[in-house]
Order: sequence, then C-alpha cells, then structure tokens
Amino acid sequence: METSSSIVTRNLCRTFEVRRKSEGFLASLKGIFWPRSNFVRAVSGLDMEIQTGELVGFLGPNGAGKTTTLKMLSGLIFPTSGSISVLGFQPFQRDYEYLGRISLVMGQKQNLWWDLPPIETLAIHREIYNISQAEFRARLDELVEMLEIVDCLDIQARKLSLGQRMRCELAVALLHRPQILFLDEPTIGLDILMQKRVRAFLLNYHERFRPTILLTSHYMEDVIALVQRVIVINRGLKIYDGTLNELSKAARLEKILTVTFQSIPEGFSPLAFGKLIFQEGPRFQVKIPREKAAETASNLYSTGKVLDLTLEEAPIEEVLGELFAS
Amino acid sequence: MKNGLTFFPKGVHFFRVSMQLLKAYWQETLAYRGMVIIWGIHSIMVPFVLMFVWLAVERGSNSPYQDGDYILYYLAMPLVMNFIDCWTVFTFPEELREGYFNRQLLKPLHPIWGHVFEHIAAKAFQLLCLVPIVFSISWFMGDYLPDIDFSFRKIALLFFALLFAVVLRFVMNTTLAMTGFWIEHVETLNLVFNQAIWALLGGMVTPIETLPPIFRIVTDVLPYRYTLSFPIEILRGKISNGEIIIGFVVMVCWLFLFSLAGRALWRAGLRIYTAYGG
Ligand SMILES: Nc1ncnc2c1ncn2[C@@H]1O[C@H](COP(=O)(O)OP(=O)(O)OP(=O)(O)O)[C@@H](O)[C@H]1O
Ligand SMILES: [Mg+2]
Repeated sequence: METSSSIVTRNLCRTFEVRRKSEGFLASLKGIFWPRSNFVRAVSGLDMEIQTGELVGFLGPNGAGKTTTLKMLSGLIFPTSGSISVLGFQPFQRDYEYLGRISLVMGQKQNLWWDLPPIETLAIHREIYNISQAEFRARLDELVEMLEIVDCLDIQARKLSLGQRMRCELAVALLHRPQILFLDEPTIGLDILMQKRVRAFLLNYHERFRPTILLTSHYMEDVIALVQRVIVINRGLKIYDGTLNELSKAARLEKILTVTFQSIPEGFSPLAFGKLIFQEGPRFQVKIPREKAAETASNLYSTGKVLDLTLEEAPIEEVLGELFAS
Repeated sequence: MKNGLTFFPKGVHFFRVSMQLLKAYWQETLAYRGMVIIWGIHSIMVPFVLMFVWLAVERGSNSPYQDGDYILYYLAMPLVMNFIDCWTVFTFPEELREGYFNRQLLKPLHPIWGHVFEHIAAKAFQLLCLVPIVFSISWFMGDYLPDIDFSFRKIALLFFALLFAVVLRFVMNTTLAMTGFWIEHVETLNLVFNQAIWALLGGMVTPIETLPPIFRIVTDVLPYRYTLSFPIEILRGKISNGEIIIGFVVMVCWLFLFSLAGRALWRAGLRIYTAYGG
C-alpha cells in the first residue's frame, strides 16, 4: 500500500479581519472613513501531515479553527501565511484537476439543488466531473445501496428530511470518487440512529475505497467508531496529534453509565466505581473509566435489581477539556 | 494559471455540461414560473405606460418620431428588455451571503456558467410568454405602425446588435455584482447605475433619436444606449451605416473595459473572500 503524504501543512496561519461596528451616529460616521478592525487568529502555525488513505479526526471546541482549516485545505480561502500541499497541489489555486479529486461536505446545503430531486444533482455532477454513463450507473447503484437512498432520489431536495438529505449530500459528494474527503460535522443534527447509519456508511466506504478522510465532529461516538488518529486544536493551535489509544491515556476516556433500579441493592454505592453525576431516587448517573464499563454493567445486572441501564460516551468536550487544561 | 479558474473545462464535454445545466435551470424556471411570468408582465408594463404618455404629448410635424414610431419603439422594447435583462447583481451577492458560493467555487467549472445558463433558461421561458402578447398587440395596431423592411442585412445586424447588447449588459451587471465581495448592498448601487441612469440614457424614458444633439454626445459615448435603444434603432431603420459602425465599435470598447474590470474584481474578491458559514 502507498504511504505517501496526501496532506501537508507547514506553519499554516489564517487571520480574519472583523470590522468593529460603532455605536452612535458620529462614531459610525467616523467608522466609515477610519474603519477599526479586530484581528481574529483562527489558525496559527498549524503543522500537520496526513498519509494517503488515513481517516483522521479533527477535534476541538467551538471556534477552535477546524472549519477554517478545512476551508483552506479545500481551496475555498487563502491562507494568511504558511504553506499547504494537498496531493501535491496548492489548494487555493483551485486547479480543476485538484477540484476533481477532492470533496468537501460542510453543512446541509452543500451540493444538492434545492428545487430539484437529488437524481438531477447527481446527473449534473456526472457531466461536470466528466463521468461516463456506465461508470455513473455503477457508482450510483453502489452509493444508493450503501446509503439506502433509493426512495429519496426522485423527491425534491427541499422536501427530504435532514437525515435523507445528509445521505444524498454524501452520495453527491462521493460520485466522482474523491481521493480526499473533507467532512465538517457530517453527523450534526441527526438522531442517534441516523448518526449510526452515517457512521457505518463512512466506515464501510473508507474500507472499500481507501480515500484520505479528514473529519470534524463534536460527538465522541464518531471519533471512537471511525478514526484511528486524532488531531486536536484549540484556539488555532495544535495541542495533540496521535492515535486514539494514546489520546485515551493522555485524556481519560470515560463512559457515562445511567442505571435505574427497581430497588437499590444493599450496600450499593455509586462512588465505588466512578464519579457520581446525579442521583434521583433509584436512578443514578455515573462517570466511569471506559475499560471498566462492561464489567461494571454486568456486575450491576447480576444483582437482578436493574430496571434500565445505558452506557454512553462522555461528551468530547469533557474528554478534551483535560487536555486543554494541561 | 492563477486561481485555477479557466472559463472552459478541459476536453469536449463542455457541451454536455451546458445541456445538463440548461435542463436543470429550465426545470427551476418552471418551478418558479409564476414569478418569472410576473417579471415578464412587469417588463411590458413600463414601456406601455411610456408609449401612452408619448402618444398623449403634442408634437410638431417636424419631430423625428410620430405616433407610429413611438408605438413601434415601445412595442419592441419589452422584447429587447427580455433579452438584455440580467439579475446577477441580485443573485451573486445573495450566493455570497447564503454560502451557496462555496459549492460553486469547489467544482471544476467556472461559477459564471451557472449564471449564464440560468439566464438563458429563464429568458427562453419568458420569451414564450412575451412573444404572443407583443405580436397580437402589433397585429391589432398594425395600421399605426410604420413600414419596416426585413432584409437579410437588417436581420443580421439586428441579431448582432442584440447579441452584443445581451453580452454587454450581462458583463456590466456582473462586474457590478463582483463588488458584492466588499459591499453589502450592491442592490443600491445597481438601482442608481443600472436602473435609473440606464432608463434615462439608455432610451427607455425617451427614445434616443429624439434627444437634442448635445445629449447625444453623452448617450452615444456611454454604454447604456447600446443595451436598449441601439437594436431598436436598427429595427426602425433610420440609423446611418456610419452610426451603426461607430455603435459597434463603442460597444466592443465598453465590453472590453468592463470585462477587464470584472476580471480584476473577481480575482481580488476571491483573495479576500472568507467563505463565512459552515
Ligand atoms: N469568515 C469569518 N470572518 C471572521 N471571523 C471568522 C470567520 N470564520 C471564522 N471566524 C473566526 O475564526 C475562529 C475559528 O472559527 P472556525 O469556524 O474555524 O471554528 P470551528 O473549530 O469550526 O468551530 P465549530 O466547532 O463551532 O464549528 C472563530 O473565532 C470564528 O469567529
Ligand atoms: Mg466548524
């Protein structure tokens, strides 16, 4: 397998100028002639290197600079300084050959034509990306099956549900078989089940076609299910780059266990296995180390008093919060 | 190649892209047919009102325009307006604001083509509604219309004058639309430069041929006349060969200037574009 670098950035920076709005007539008049600006450093000095075929999670709190980085990598905006090379191209030159090899999925209205059914958008993309009719049919059949969107293809896009639309967006974005895929929060706004389906699809797709994927998400489930490697940024600075396993050592990965008893077993103390988040009668929520989760759950079940028990990943912000603190 | 935005995609598949986009925009036009028809009717109303105003005005027998000339002028105007109408100045800034521009920018196809095909589809539809209306009125008013010959030469001239008018207006408006990278309300600029001044100096309010010579210096040098009055002047047939040639030369000059300006604005705009949203 090829292991060359697909994405390389060196000392990548992006600053945004934000005009300050002035209050009052005189001040705003002055603002017209002598505008005052603030400068926001969205990305500062980012170095990263991603190998061909890697699936990397790009994490960080709101405003960390993730979307800004993806916009620079895909070629939407110019970097303020530093260098980028993706597949050997400088993205902001937007060479058509480059654009034909990448895809960016950002938000829910990226590619679908709002007033037309998705099949029309797909047909337009077939021509724009110069895909042969036979190839188009084969790829379409494959994507439709993997994404389960047979029923959505002929419905006007504006009438599709969020989950249907997201899956159609993915089909459109993947039709030209991009070698590089930038996914900005692909699961945002979807219900748990739909998130699972999208996740399963992405995993399956990556397995089959091995594109290089850089994905942002605020859901720990996405990260754990999908990525091997994570890059964490905060305020435009890279603070972690490594495997998920190492991350879980650096920042304790935890699970949240919620248990409701018929009657609380004798001698039960939530503090024995984790940090209590809240208690409400026979209902407890506890944060426990990931590796102990399965064992704890089975122990609780064995008391025979459990009415309901759920295990969830701790929110990503909490996990990463420890990293930011250190 | 800087910015990597070439006008034509490589290879011969541009034709197929065009057909597919035309088809898509045609469907979109049909989806919004109510609005498109209302715009069409709107473009008939103003010239008709002006026609009646001018018919009501007393004028001497030595005036260059008589009743029939005014009727012809203002009957032809909705058709010309349908061709030259251009709304990139509204749609482009909206694309920037709403974030739709992002998707145009990441496709191996120059974003301008979407606008071009959208205009072609919408105009084809509008024309289908307009032509029957205008022609039935012409038939109805046939007795008042002056005689006009339709030689091959005139039809060819008319074709090119219209074509250049369409392209010039598109380039002018789209160049103005590019200021949307910097300015929030391009519509206001448009109202002044492309609507008010255009109506006055382009020949909408008053036919250019009836203006005193001193005004003609202004109208003949500025681009506005060539996007409205010029093709109708050719249709009416009272314009000299010399004037026609000068007209085309002036048009080409403006086309060249606006294209250069538009290109410069486009490149500078992309540099400062921050792609908000997402
Ligand atoms: N177009 C813009 N103009 C001005 N400032 C911007 C622009 N885009 C982003 N910023 C600022 O840059 C910083 C980084 O924003 P960015 O959208 O990259 O964050 P993010 O990591 O994607 O956050 P989120 O998780 O909320 O999506 C923020 O402070 C934001 O306000
Ligand atoms: Mg973001």
